[in-house]
Amino acid sequence: MQGAAEKVRKTRIPYRTMKKIHGLVFVLPWLIGFVLFFLTPLANTIKYSFHKVGVADAGGMVLDFVGLQNYKDLFNVEVSSQSQTFLRVFSDENMNIFINTPVIVIFSLFCAILINVKFKGQGLARVVFFLPIVLGLKVVVDLIMVTTGGDVADASVSSNFDNEFLIDFLREYTFLPRDVTFFISDLAANIFMLLSQTGVQTLIFLAGLQSINPSLYEVAKIEGANSYEIFWKITLPLVGNISLFALIYTFVDMFLKSSISTEIYYFAFNKNNIGVGSALSVVYLVNVLIDLLLLLFIMNRVVKLSHAAK
Amino acid sequence: MLQSEPRTRKEITAYRVKETFRKIVFGYLFYSLVIGLGFAILYPLIKLIPFVFNNLEDLGNPDVIWVPIELSVDSFRAAFRLVFGNGVPMLQSVAYAAIIALIQIFMCAIAGYSLGRINFWGRNLVMFLVIVTFVVPPQSLLISQYLSFKRFDILGLVSAINGSTIDLINQPYTLYAIALLGFGVKQSMFVFIFRQFFKGLPKELEEAAYIDGCGFYRTFFKIGLPNALPAIMTVGILAFVWNYGDTYYTGYFHPDGPYLSIKLATTFAPANVNNILYAVRTWYDAPGATTFAFDAVKQAAALIFLLPLLIIYFFAQKRIVENLEQSGIVG
Repeated sequence: MQGAAEKVRKTRIPYRTMKKIHGLVFVLPWLIGFVLFFLTPLANTIKYSFHKVGVADAGGMVLDFVGLQNYKDLFNVEVSSQSQTFLRVFSDENMNIFINTPVIVIFSLFCAILINVKFKGQGLARVVFFLPIVLGLKVVVDLIMVTTGGDVADASVSSNFDNEFLIDFLREYTFLPRDVTFFISDLAANIFMLLSQTGVQTLIFLAGLQSINPSLYEVAKIEGANSYEIFWKITLPLVGNISLFALIYTFVDMFLKSSISTEIYYFAFNKNNIGVGSALSVVYLVNVLIDLLLLLFIMNRVVKLSHAAK
Repeated sequence: MLQSEPRTRKEITAYRVKETFRKIVFGYLFYSLVIGLGFAILYPLIKLIPFVFNNLEDLGNPDVIWVPIELSVDSFRAAFRLVFGNGVPMLQSVAYAAIIALIQIFMCAIAGYSLGRINFWGRNLVMFLVIVTFVVPPQSLLISQYLSFKRFDILGLVSAINGSTIDLINQPYTLYAIALLGFGVKQSMFVFIFRQFFKGLPKELEEAAYIDGCGFYRTFFKIGLPNALPAIMTVGILAFVWNYGDTYYTGYFHPDGPYLSIKLATTFAPANVNNILYAVRTWYDAPGATTFAFDAVKQAAALIFLLPLLIIYFFAQKRIVENLEQSGIVG
């Protein structure tokens, strides 16, 4: 016993410091990976984007500083594999992502609320509602997609849902403006696409819903709140944190699946133009970060507004 | 008192009728919503069923939509002959995904434990970096990552020892190395999940272990890991699914590897349509097979590919859902 105490005194490193060192040891692999697989490539990408990259005779790389030429080329000269200018590609993708992200998040929250209710066949329903995680894998999407016979291909993926009826109904019986009508009918027509994006978010929201203390609902019911009030006053505020995570996840995921990411590959490996490809990567990265900041800003405003309303 | 009794009874009956009515209406609406949405999710799969069981020559026949004239499993047989062979590629792929998932679980668990539990120097900075790596799309780093793997070097050390840089592309160990250092498929997200989970665990457990004489590592392996089972299950399932279906990392860093996802993507590439059609026509004596037959074989292959995932889903489903409330994704 005394020997052990002696030993501790000899090492002279306090327990807390020792723990911190152990903690660092545990993060160390990740930090090494961060430097090797993230920081270096990031720095290199930025470097390449300002250079003309060629192949040397010996097999090495030749870097030729060209300043902002790659960026100018990207937006003025080059076209995407679909023969569109990149300004067009970026604006289209951004529009698309900004419209679809909130819809997907709200939709997955809705799905999570549905399968959180106790009912017969709940287990099966949960299996089905998490299936988009598997069906959303790129390989699976490519394999299931019908490649031949134009009409069949269209019908199988999206526009199979006949929205004529919906448009007529909304026009005749509601007083919504025309744009809103078309927005809603577009969503309905794209329901397969929307649902295919929801799996992980549904899982995240279900986790959030299950962590809400059931006694809160009990209290609200005893106090005489109806389901509508319970949703707005209890459910929504308590899944707020998770919806931010879900929102960011959806956002990043949409960018990953967007056509810009395939364009990067196209430039680097098909066109052998690493400089412009890197410039595209940098613009893409900046675009994602700006959009995320915008998103956080909007979320912040929404949260503040809802607090002010109380 | 006596007079009011019949009235009360009447009110109770009215209430009961109202409740039953409400239950029926809400039940109907609820089930139609769940079944409708479930159908919309499953629709792509349901549509495949008649297609893949059809006779190869009847495909594209406008008279045949939902009910095949003649049932046949030729598309499955063709898929097996083209891709799956005797089942070894699938076993290899499953083994690969399982091993990578295990590595990812372990590496993310230790990083998450440290980030959630220990207040070491610069913890907040590291946490911020984790979030940044989660947000930055890997595609934007693809080119320089590829190039730096092509001639891999750490501060000139490798070339000093080895004489030249190492080519890490197409090496079997590259993907394991990436996962080991925490940058595999969506690994930052897993670190985040583990961090949130460990943050929520009660501190008393560890303190008790320390007082009983456990060191840091023993505490982690005896107390931390076993208690993190819910998070391990969640991350494990996601990691397995994503690695099994991954074409990004496998495709760029080890394109010649025995991965089913890569094999499927290359076999059923649009350039291969005629080759496959020729093979199918000669194998199954179906000279009238059109390009629809190609689709049928492709989709049959997709169904076989999904099979291991569905089996794992089915068994793990209950666990994930039951344990999610403690799995720490929640703020």
